Amino acid sequence: MPPIIDPKLCTACGECWRICEGDVFYGSKDGQVPVVSYPEECWHEWSCVQACPVAGAVVIRTPLPMMVVYK
Amino acid sequence: MVTKQAEVVKADVLCIGGGPAGLMAAIRARELGASVVVADKGNTLHSGSATGGCDHFMCYNPEYHGTDVAPIREAVFNAPTGGCTDPVYVDIWLDKSFEMVKLWESWGIPMKHNGKWDFGGHSFPDRPRIHMHYAGGNQKKVLTEKALKNGGRLMNRVTIFELLRDGDRVIGALGFDTWNERIIQFEAKSTMLATGLVSRLYPGLTPGWLINIPIFPFNTGDGRAMGLRAGAYLTGLEFAGRWAGPKYFSRAGKGTWIGVLREPSGKPVGPFITKPNKETGDIVADVYPALFADYAAAARGPVYMDLHGASKEDIEYMLHWLRHEGNTGLVNHLAQAGIDLTKNGIEFGTYEFGVRGGVWHTPDSATNLKGLYACGEEYAVLGGMAGAVTLGWMAGENMANHARGTEFAGLEGEKDRIEQETGRITAMLSRKAGASWQEANVALQNTMLDYGGGLRSEPLLAQGLSHLARVKEKAAETLMARNGHELGRCLEVLNLMEVGEAVITAARARQESRGPHKRYDYPYTNPLLDRSLLVSKEAGKFAIKWGEKMYKGG
Repeated sequence: MPPIIDPKLCTACGECWRICEGDVFYGSKDGQVPVVSYPEECWHEWSCVQACPVAGAVVIRTPLPMMVVYK
Repeated sequence: MVTKQAEVVKADVLCIGGGPAGLMAAIRARELGASVVVADKGNTLHSGSATGGCDHFMCYNPEYHGTDVAPIREAVFNAPTGGCTDPVYVDIWLDKSFEMVKLWESWGIPMKHNGKWDFGGHSFPDRPRIHMHYAGGNQKKVLTEKALKNGGRLMNRVTIFELLRDGDRVIGALGFDTWNERIIQFEAKSTMLATGLVSRLYPGLTPGWLINIPIFPFNTGDGRAMGLRAGAYLTGLEFAGRWAGPKYFSRAGKGTWIGVLREPSGKPVGPFITKPNKETGDIVADVYPALFADYAAAARGPVYMDLHGASKEDIEYMLHWLRHEGNTGLVNHLAQAGIDLTKNGIEFGTYEFGVRGGVWHTPDSATNLKGLYACGEEYAVLGGMAGAVTLGWMAGENMANHARGTEFAGLEGEKDRIEQETGRITAMLSRKAGASWQEANVALQNTMLDYGGGLRSEPLLAQGLSHLARVKEKAAETLMARNGHELGRCLEVLNLMEVGEAVITAARARQESRGPHKRYDYPYTNPLLDRSLLVSKEAGKFAIKWGEKMYKGG
């Protein structure tokens, strides 16, 4: 479920959870790897990915109901 | 157990919502010497419709358009997106929108593209273009930092949930700090509702997946609901607009796409363009956003956004603006899915109903209640970024002036109501069993779609209103929140229910069909009802008033 944090890459800077507009990381704490408390409330805006200083530490997977239809 | 903060946050000006309207008002009021606090349920860096950016600022730009305003006035009159027919607001826009553009440019928001003014999208071929492209990706950061630098106080993760009153005067508000589970009392001389559009009132494209919404999902009509409870007039609620865009990844921003919308045979669905056009886009989606739903109902679709023939540079140009529109997520999903925009057609769908009406206010942003202002998408006669920014700036001046001539009222008169509200919040946080906010939201959405949807009639609206009242009553008794985050969501859904009741009430009162408000039992447009409808609540009961001549808003 999005967003997905890689604890091996995460530096616990807190940028992602501080700015998340859906408050998906509610309950996260300073200095700790964030908790993804409400993944289903993610709007897939990718602001967490953009705010993260480490490439790959947080990634977003587009959920199946939101896949774009194309030909 | 929720705690009450001992300190009362006192300020001349309280802005409820940290979007462009709230932040512009806060910056300007502070410049004029008012003490200012902005409360945002999220983080102002990334909250509301402006999160991630916006790529178009509707403006009259004399350096681009020249000095003849007549064609520009006509263009804004006829614009299906952002258009305005109210001459007072059009004059304000003609007078001030470029001043706002230059202000933003001076603050570090890139308003030019490669050193030049760039106008495109949402446009008819061979007509003046009034939607100016700008790179708004950093706008929330710039506005937030400007507000802080000015000495404004920004309180993030604070959900304002009730206005405090003294007769017909608004004197402050109650807010809930969702991370620390405490109630904060605000006392203010001037209070602005700037809580944006209304999401989650109707089911989206993917009803089983609630947060797939074309516009910001956590703008839930809080300003409208609080205004209603305080005695403010709401207007225009019976008119719902619809967006359209990629299916099933719901994202507004159709004006940024540059391709042609085609039916399966390849024939364009609209008369405007036959090949990709980066200057205009395919405006059929603005003129007739319900097209995709109508085609689907008639099995004439799918309808595809087709970029065949667009140059690589033009596609890069489009992607640049999509990112600045806040559509990074969509753009990245297209890339992740391996979609090649030069080869693949993207299906477009019509998104859910979006309430366009809201809190009635004057061009000075004053509501019918003393000390209460409303701005931005709370009710946008002049909509979009231009409206929020221009009117927000002016509202900041008005609120600072009002504060100068006013004393603080003191909150002692609201002591009982504050206790009552604290009890209500505590009850929701204490319940060990009950309804989740999602459950309540789904019940609301189904009711709104089935009884207050695209085609309305008195028996349907009446049944919808009584059912919604029952659902709302049960929700108030059973909603359960395990923590401050969930409590915030519960408050959102309760506000949405209040807005839904007002929408249905307005739809019942307007006994005609007009624009997006369609009545099966009144299929014609009645010229005598070319007036605005004002809905309010008095002693808990809805009251209706007919206002002045109605203008089309954006």
